[in-house]
Amino acid sequence: MAAPESVRQLGAWPEHSGKNDILVGLSASHVWLALGWHDIRQRYRRSVIGPFWFTLSTLIMVGVLGVLYATLFQQNVREYLIYLGVGLVAWQFINSCANEGATTLISAAPMIKQIRMPLTVHVARMVWRNFVILLHSLPVILMFMLLFGYRFTTEFFLVFPALAIIFANSLWMALLISLLCARYRDVVPIVANLFQVLFFFTPVLWMEELLKERSWFADFNPFHHLIEIVRAPLVGSEIQADSWIWSVSMAIVGMTLAQMLMVKARNRVPYWV
Amino acid sequence: MSAIIRAERVTVDFPIYENSHRSLKKQFLNISTGGLIAPDAGKHTVVRALDGISFELQEGDRVGLVGHNGSGKTTLLRVLSGVYSPVGGALYTRGRIASLLDVSMGLDPEATGYENIYLRGIMDGLTPAMIERKTPGIAEFSELGGYLDLPVRTYSSGMMLRLAFAISTSEEADIIIMDEWLSVGDESFNSKASERLSQMVSKAGVLVMASHDPALVERVCNRRITLEHGKLVSDEQLS
Repeated sequence: MAAPESVRQLGAWPEHSGKNDILVGLSASHVWLALGWHDIRQRYRRSVIGPFWFTLSTLIMVGVLGVLYATLFQQNVREYLIYLGVGLVAWQFINSCANEGATTLISAAPMIKQIRMPLTVHVARMVWRNFVILLHSLPVILMFMLLFGYRFTTEFFLVFPALAIIFANSLWMALLISLLCARYRDVVPIVANLFQVLFFFTPVLWMEELLKERSWFADFNPFHHLIEIVRAPLVGSEIQADSWIWSVSMAIVGMTLAQMLMVKARNRVPYWV
Repeated sequence: MSAIIRAERVTVDFPIYENSHRSLKKQFLNISTGGLIAPDAGKHTVVRALDGISFELQEGDRVGLVGHNGSGKTTLLRVLSGVYSPVGGALYTRGRIASLLDVSMGLDPEATGYENIYLRGIMDGLTPAMIERKTPGIAEFSELGGYLDLPVRTYSSGMMLRLAFAISTSEEADIIIMDEWLSVGDESFNSKASERLSQMVSKAGVLVMASHDPALVERVCNRRITLEHGKLVSDEQLS
């Protein structure tokens, strides 16, 4: 007898396996967009200014650190404040995606064991949630820019594709980390430590010029390029084609890696978490 | 007539990771020592939860899944609902599957009743338009009225179950997977719920229900599959 056609519909999800988990998950954008927003709303349900706490925290953080480090590094406060602000906001986004990615699948275990939906949905939900936080923090920088009389040029609009590329890179990192952490629980603290160290090695608090003849050190740091694509147009420094090439290639290579790991791991994850 | 579910020697092993097995250290030791110091790394104890289960379910089958605790009933239900992929063997299913294993899954106590209806809907893969269409029906059936605008944490446990039940049973399905006959709330609501569930079951092609209640299986089912230690020991037709 011929095998019956396997048209497996779970709830209304189309059939998916490791091969198309990322594709099916990402295409269901209404799901992770809504869930991510819901998380933000939940966190601030009974607070008066709600998600604008992110805005306020950024303002305080960048204001205080900016003045402090501008003095330490003997930089112009106005320029440094914006430099630090953009770098910090972008770094915080990447950093949260990596660290929360480590626990995303582990904490989604009750759902994973109950219904089959693309694992990518859980991860994209988390990345989107952090992106919303980024969108609440970024206006602080724009406010500083207006305050200091920044002249908007066409280069400013490079910020939008740059944010999209950072989003894509954070997504594959989170996917990779979440799958690894589901299987190997030691990876969770490894990721936390790794990103802690990376923060100090990446020009966020300090500037690349300070490395003088050792600036090649920053040129080989992918995170430097990732931050630079969004920072350069805002601080009005020269746009580096190198940084864009690094960032785009990283997104492509990383997504391929995430896809390969997903193919191997998708069906095992419910047993691991 | 073609089968709606066909299981061919479905086998499921649960890996048991002791803490040491979940660590990368052992894996690295394994690499650096050529497996001399840590020969057990990479291998871990497994529990065979299902062992070569084969059966075929046709349109109209109402299967009662019986067996002792730990015989593999719930695991089999989860394999059917797509959560666990079999380690060995193959499973074919056709049509839309509704899993009623844990109806309260995903309910967020801080969100309102209406928000929960929406969130559960998208998690089940429904489009916003589909959810909007079925929301009034869910609201009406749950009899929660104005409470649906309040956070679910303000509900009594009975009310919460009503909402969960109303959401879970609002979709038609070809295959229904259930752990015991769902019962909710007070007497009057429970009979209404039971009726709704019977209707849903009668519209579905296949029902697979795990149960410890022989009388219930006799009443609802026309086929009884018995599991023991993960093996299928009997598959009989009930009159």
